[in-house]
Formats: sequence, structure tokens, C-alpha cells
Amino acid sequence: MSGGTTPGRYRAEAARTLAERPSVRTAVTSATDHSNVNRGRAYATIDSERWRDWARDTKTHLLTHLDRYLEQAEASLLRNGVRVHWAETAADALTALSGIVREHELKRAIKGKSMLTEELGVNAHLEGLGVHVREADLGEYIVQMLGEPPTHIVGPAIHKSLADCQRLFHERFGTALDADPDTLARAARAVLREEFLSADLGISGANFLAADTGTIALIENEGNIRLSTSLPRIHVAFVGIEKLVPRLEDVAGFVQLTTRASTGQPIGNYVSLIQGPRRVGEIDGPDEVHVIFVDNGRTRLLADEAAWEALRCVRCGACLNICPVYRQTGGHAYGWTYGGPIGAILAPALLGLEESMPLPFASTLCGACADVCPVRIPIPDLLLHWRERAVEAGLSSTSEAVGLSAFTKAAEHPALFGAAGTLLRWLPWRAGGRALPILGGWLQERSAPEPSAKSFRQLWKDGIE
Amino acid sequence: MSATEPGADAGGKQRILGRVRAALSGRSTVDHPGPFESWRPPDTTVQIAVDRFAAMLEAAGGEIVRLPDEAAARDWLWGFSKDFTSAALGETLPEPLRPALPIAAADVAPLGISRARGAIAETGSLLLDARDGRRAQLLPPTHVVFVHAADVHVTFRDAVISMKGDLPSALGLHSGPSKSADIGHIMVKGVHGPGRLIAVVIEASSP
Repeated sequence: MSGGTTPGRYRAEAARTLAERPSVRTAVTSATDHSNVNRGRAYATIDSERWRDWARDTKTHLLTHLDRYLEQAEASLLRNGVRVHWAETAADALTALSGIVREHELKRAIKGKSMLTEELGVNAHLEGLGVHVREADLGEYIVQMLGEPPTHIVGPAIHKSLADCQRLFHERFGTALDADPDTLARAARAVLREEFLSADLGISGANFLAADTGTIALIENEGNIRLSTSLPRIHVAFVGIEKLVPRLEDVAGFVQLTTRASTGQPIGNYVSLIQGPRRVGEIDGPDEVHVIFVDNGRTRLLADEAAWEALRCVRCGACLNICPVYRQTGGHAYGWTYGGPIGAILAPALLGLEESMPLPFASTLCGACADVCPVRIPIPDLLLHWRERAVEAGLSSTSEAVGLSAFTKAAEHPALFGAAGTLLRWLPWRAGGRALPILGGWLQERSAPEPSAKSFRQLWKDGIE
Repeated sequence: MSATEPGADAGGKQRILGRVRAALSGRSTVDHPGPFESWRPPDTTVQIAVDRFAAMLEAAGGEIVRLPDEAAARDWLWGFSKDFTSAALGETLPEPLRPALPIAAADVAPLGISRARGAIAETGSLLLDARDGRRAQLLPPTHVVFVHAADVHVTFRDAVISMKGDLPSALGLHSGPSKSADIGHIMVKGVHGPGRLIAVVIEASSP
């Protein structure tokens, strides 16, 4: 789901957002500021360095034994009475869904919040099958009514102000234009409660899937996921193959770290641990649970020795919240499901390198994302990796290609690096940088940095005081 | 696409596993780092665990009532439930903890009453078992949950390990009321699940 744009239009869409919809920047900056403060507090009350080491190592262990854990997970799911499907592509996943819909003649779907279903285009597919589909997460419901994709992994509607919501709800539900958020939420609750009670298909993603018990773990605050996975008679969970964790005990660590990184909560107000369909003696719960394991480019990423670490991602959104680039525009400008730094290092594998240009360049490489990532994905390194690949493939503009290859060459030759530093120190920076053929365009909207009198290498040689 | 059911085509699964194996061939592996260690003060007593559980649940917007025994819990419930016209009850709720109210279906009852299988101190979570009935845990706007102090686990990991041999179709960890900040970044309660969550801790061990 790209909202009618593509990554290739990133620069134009970002510029358009800033020029035509300045309220988006205000709303996104305010919401992400809030998340950043909360994450900082939540990390400060735990040994966050040790937790993050543990999470990195557990996910790396999982990924380096993924074949074994996938087989174990399938066996556990089957033992629990869950039906398991394997989808190599988005089309395969949607075909599996079609099969379930036809088998049970399903008519009404309710969906708990899930980014993978956005990636696969589940809503449009269901509508094509004649199935009524309703997003149940309040933010997802708002963007669904507006015909927009989510702007953020965790907060789909953070680009909307209260006034935007008041207008939308006034048009849809007849609430007053100055209705307070409680009134608006009550209106949405009433509509969605009917949807929950009448749905025959509940759809979810999965935050984690424990291989040893076959447990599907889902985190949320509203209850939309608990209801979507409890009330309808069929539950279908779409699970990226990288979402596995070895043991149910590991879920205990990952749930807490993910919510601390994401919203700063010690835990989501609702966590579902699902082991399959309703059992004998239970009075409610779905008659059938299906898990659709989705590859859709993930094995391609795993095969990339330099870039596979992006698969550790737990979709907390911390790298979006902290990114000075994402915060200017929100997620729509990126033109596909996953915006921000994590999206820029997933896109080349999931969409293809050419299709994801110029997203790996939509970053200042400031490194803030790596500082907050709960699973320690070296995001700036991976952005550089994809930039190099793009240059090799002739996909980046000439200036970027010349700059990057020159930097690489200089960095490999100390003498050349030193000489280049000296040369740059003497260039006419204060004239606005226009003398520099490569940086001229870039500097038109920026002030050039003033070089220090001595290079770091010179200071080092002289003995830093 | 393939469903791994008897007789189904397993081609998709085999091709995905084949690509995973090819990707990992020659790749160095990493050992599991071992147990996740989190909140565990030395000599954690039931009292310390319940204090932490109460503080965490309250910080997340939940309400706490601590009572010495089941008789006190019953008295409290009879008083509390006077403001309600009917209630939906958990399947495993013991007789003494049933209110003097008409029983109603969960989708119309203003009050849901459940018995928790346990709780988690470090996160302030109630452990709700599907065998108690999910609808009563989710649909009424106010949710009262009874839990015995002796069933409060110190960590999430401890709770998971204790339940591993006896898992129902679903466990719900409820750590506060239903809430959302999706409308204009302002927090509201009771979006889909109960807007009020009241945990009643019965401090004495069950009779």
C-alpha cells in the first residue's frame, strides 16, 4: 500500500508535503517528540544496554538458525491445531487468504493493527473478493476512512491533528466540530463494536512467534487485536518469517523491550499469547486459526551478507521517531509501507534496489537511529551499504556516485585522504560553496560548515590536549 | 502457496526453507545468549511482588484494591456492584465472588468480572486465561479481576515458565485499561476494551 506514490517520487513528495501541508510536519514532530521523551525515560529505568545486547544476540541466533526454527514453529503450530500456509510472495499470501475466505464463505473481516498486511495489500484484496473489511485500530480506522496508508509503523495517524480528526468524525458520524477526543473515541467505539460482533474473519499480524510453543504474541493498547483474534470464527495471522523467536520465555524479554523502545511503556496494556483455536471446554474464541508464513523478499535479505541484520527489526518505530529526516514529512513521502530509516534498508531487498531509490539516500547518516534501536541494527552502515550498491548499479545521480567513489578511494589511501583534507580546508567555503562543483546545488539551501584550522589527523600527530 | 496439511502441496515451504539454507550456508552462527534477566530484587517476598504489581498497574491507569481475604473481597464486590444493573461473569469465578446481580451476556453487560490465573509484578499485568471466557474480559466497559497474591509472579519470564505446561488457546495480559492516543495525540480510555480495569488482590492464600 503506497498511497498512490512510489519511493522514486520521494524528493518531490517530501517537498510537496512541506510546502502544501505544513500541519503534517507539526503533528509528526510533536508526536515523535513525545515518543522520544518516553523512550528515554523507559530506557533509563532498565539496564537498556544489556537488554539490547540480549535482544540483538537472540534475534541473530534465531536468524542464523532460521530453517530449524521455522520447522519447529510449524510443528508446534500444527500440534496446537493451527493450519499453516507458506507464502513465497505477496501474491501467494493473498491466494492463501482467498482459499480460506472461499472455504468458509466469509463476508466480513475485522483487522487488528498489522504492518505486514499493509505490505501485502490485504484490504484491497479482500474488497476484490467482495469481503467487507474494517480496520479496528483507531489510527488505522482514521487513515482507512481517509483512503490513506499509515504514516508510521506504530502510530498510523500521527500526521493528523485533533482538528483534522474533528472534521473527519463530523462528516462521518455527525459529531460536533469541537467534540473532545473522548466523544470522538466513543463514536468510533460504537461503530467498530458492531463490526467486531458481526465479523466472521479476524485478521492480525504477529509481533513474535515462539517456535517451541507455537505462540503468536501480539502487543497493543486498545484491545482491537484481542477482539479481532477472539470474536470472529476464523482468525488468520500473517507472520513474516523473521518474526520467530526461539522460546516462549524470549517473548517475555522482547515484548518489554519493544514497548519501551516504541512508546516508552513497560508493556502494552494488552498482550495476546495465542496457542490456536478454541479448545474443548472453552466458551469462546475462533473455531480455526491460520498462520500464513510470509517470505516476500525476506530470504533475499537474509542471503545478503552485508545487509541481513535489518531482519532483526521488531517494528517499534524508534528509528522513525528519532530520525531528523522522517520527522519533517512523516511516512507518506517514502512511497511504501515502511518509512524512515528502517524502511530505507528494507526496501532494497523487499522491493528491489532500483524500485527503492532514492530511499537509502534519504538520511543524513547522523546515527541517532542506531543509538535507539532495541535490537542494535547498524542502520547507518546499512544505508551506506545500499548507497554503494546503488552506485555500483548506476542507480544514483552522478554527483553521489563521484562523491562516494572518491571518498572510498581516499579512505583507502591515507596519503590521499590527508591531501584531500588539506585541499578542502583551502577551498572558498565562505563564498557559499558555489566553487565546489559537486556541492553547489546542495549548499544553495544550507550554510556550509567552516572547517577547523587543523585536521583531526594533524591534531593527533601533534598530540591532542 | 501451500498448506502443510495431509496431502497438501508443500512446495512453497520447501522452496522457502531451501532459500533460507542457501542464505545461511557458510554463515557463522551465534549461540542463544541465555535467559532474559530483568527486574528481580534480592529476596523478593510476596509483599514486594504485590507492591510492584500494584504500582505498575496503577501507573498504566488501572485501579487496585487490596483485601485481606475472600470474605472481604466478597463484601467489597457487593458494595461496588450496586451501581451496576447486570454483570457478565468468568467461567472459573468461584461462587463467593459472584455478585448479587442479574447475569447478562458480555456484549450488553456494563460490568465484567473475571478471575485471573495469576499476575506479573515487573510489568503490572493480570494473566487472563481463555478458559475463563474471553468476552467477559473484553466487552463490558468496566472489568473487575480477582487475583490471589500468591499467584503474582515476579517476572514475565517466571510467569511464562510456570504456565508453559498448561497453555490454553489464548492468554491475555491486561496491564491497564484500553487506551489510545490516535486522535490528535491525546490519550483516551475505553476505546475497544474496558475503560476501567480494577484488580482486586486477595492477600491471603486461597482457602
